Amino acid sequence: MSEFHLTEDQQDCLQELINIAMGQASDQLARYLDTFVYLKVPSIESIDAKDLLQTLSQQKNTMAVVSQGFFGYEGIRGEALLSYQEEDSGRIGDLLGYEPDELSQDEQLIDISSILTTTFLNVFARQIDNQMSYNAPKLLPSVQNCLSEHLQEMTFNWDLALKININYQVTDYSFNCNMILLIPETAIINIKKVLDRILAEF
Amino acid sequence: MLDFNALISEKSTNKQALSGTVLKQINTQISNQINTGVLVLDAEFNIVLWNRFLQVHTDKDAANIIGQSIFIAFPELPERWLSRKLSAVLQLNTPSFCSWQQRHHLFELPHTRQITTDSEFMAQNCTFLPIDTDCEHKHICILIEDVTDVCHYQGQLQKTLAELAQMSRIDGLTQIYNRRHWQDSLVQEYAKSRRHTKNLSLMMLDLDHFKLLNDNYGHQCGDMVLIEISALISSLLRVEDIFGRYGGEEFAIILPETNLTGAMELAQRICHSIATAPLKYNGQVIKVTVSLGVAPLSEQTSSYEELITHADLALYQAKAQGRNQVCSATNMATA
Amino acid sequence: MSPSVLICDDSNMARKQVLRSLPEQWKTSAQIASNGAEALTILRDNSIEVLFLDLTMPGIDGIGVLQGIKKLNLDCSVFVISADIQPEMQAKVKALGAKEFIRKPVKPDVLISHLQQHGLL
Repeated sequence: MSEFHLTEDQQDCLQELINIAMGQASDQLARYLDTFVYLKVPSIESIDAKDLLQTLSQQKNTMAVVSQGFFGYEGIRGEALLSYQEEDSGRIGDLLGYEPDELSQDEQLIDISSILTTTFLNVFARQIDNQMSYNAPKLLPSVQNCLSEHLQEMTFNWDLALKININYQVTDYSFNCNMILLIPETAIINIKKVLDRILAEF
Repeated sequence: MLDFNALISEKSTNKQALSGTVLKQINTQISNQINTGVLVLDAEFNIVLWNRFLQVHTDKDAANIIGQSIFIAFPELPERWLSRKLSAVLQLNTPSFCSWQQRHHLFELPHTRQITTDSEFMAQNCTFLPIDTDCEHKHICILIEDVTDVCHYQGQLQKTLAELAQMSRIDGLTQIYNRRHWQDSLVQEYAKSRRHTKNLSLMMLDLDHFKLLNDNYGHQCGDMVLIEISALISSLLRVEDIFGRYGGEEFAIILPETNLTGAMELAQRICHSIATAPLKYNGQVIKVTVSLGVAPLSEQTSSYEELITHADLALYQAKAQGRNQVCSATNMATA
Repeated sequence: MSPSVLICDDSNMARKQVLRSLPEQWKTSAQIASNGAEALTILRDNSIEVLFLDLTMPGIDGIGVLQGIKKLNLDCSVFVISADIQPEMQAKVKALGAKEFIRKPVKPDVLISHLQQHGLL
């Protein structure tokens, strides 16, 4: 157990914060999309950096990965990676309320990713009295080789990744998306401080 | 004009307290000197303010623009799409982005690299930010960054990479494929033919007495002959045939979906065309002939290397039988 | 006289959050369960008057507990406390007999006012 690992209490606290954030985010999304979003409370795993690539490469048919950096006060920052399977990509534009000729598939993926990431992280930040800013989302070019390169080329050392499996089921549409939050070492220490502060209130 | 309260924290003024007016002047000047377009809209998408960058990059009447709908002020904007995007910003209270990689530009603004770029308009990265104020309704701030340079260099890079990729496949002298790329292609064509049980033939050819030609007329003449012969052979091939320089004066052709008869016909045609080609060097007529070996893919062929060996042996036989002729691997006693 | 109280949530933090929000005199006697099965056992063997119930739990979830209560014909006031706040879910738990739907994170004043509203305080 390294200094970057969460204690059982911290993990429980984080899971609860994420559940609440996800619940509110899906409520907001449902209103925006004007349809019922059935959002299973996500399974959350914290995984080691070295296991992440393996986990990702086991996913079959990963068609696209969109990356978006986020940063808030108190050194809470990281990068969100959203990965999609081939069969999920078809009707995202439809779901977002765009006409088919209004935007390319790349843009659809970037748009939905940005909406999912920022809606969720905004609510999450509010839970911990924080506020997030975001980089522009980027579609990583051709997934297979580039993902490992991308992970290695990051400017920060990240030891921990939070893997959040989001499963959206919307009437007439359904798609799966994995949201992975990569958290750099220093930010983990900062998150642990925040979690401890919340836990101390009880 | 634009109040960047978030940018300049009040706390930083503790030591030497600046008045609100001075802070406002600083903010206004920053917003007017910054090399990014700033446009603020109300919840109905009417323009509330814009900065100098936008004023100087558009020839719009500053007096009329405030209060105008963004879609009237900038009729080039895709209204339905952008309205949907802007509503997401207001409703979800989240930022939204638009990159030049997906849409080269949203606003038709001229750029300052008039000559070196191919687009008439400035390439842009746009950011849409929700703005909360004391005002009852939300606002949206649109930041418009000029990324014409990035876009231009990215284009150059792509072009250079494509050229490099092309160059790494081409033989510098003859401008046909080099041996490495030719062999990579053979590996693929071999696998393809095996998978779909299609015909495939291989032709190897060699200039006759090339060393003598070099000795008599010099290497420049030899080079000229290699170039002319390559061009002549290229003109006789189909697009799907893969023609490469195998070694010094040795060439090789992959003939997909071609049986032995077809390959032999082509070989004869090449042999005849070269023998009768009117090649001249320094006013002198030069007679050049080639020997050719042809090998078809058969059920017994166990690898692409074996196919090369067969064609090579047939070529050797054509040489042994007196040059300027074609031999097929199947005619040979050893085959 | 404080009623018998059960708090059911798989998250330790969420349970503490509910416990902290309870009226002072209720706190000492409150029992806890960390999943639906545990809750149903306690509900069956003790007479629980007020249940604070999370919805999303491994195994038997909140909906399962509500159905169990109906089946066992228990007289128990259920307050659902959940992160899944979409209107459809709220309607569903009310239809299954829950008194109130309270959104997470639970706030003491909100919880107290709901208890008062239902005559439990």
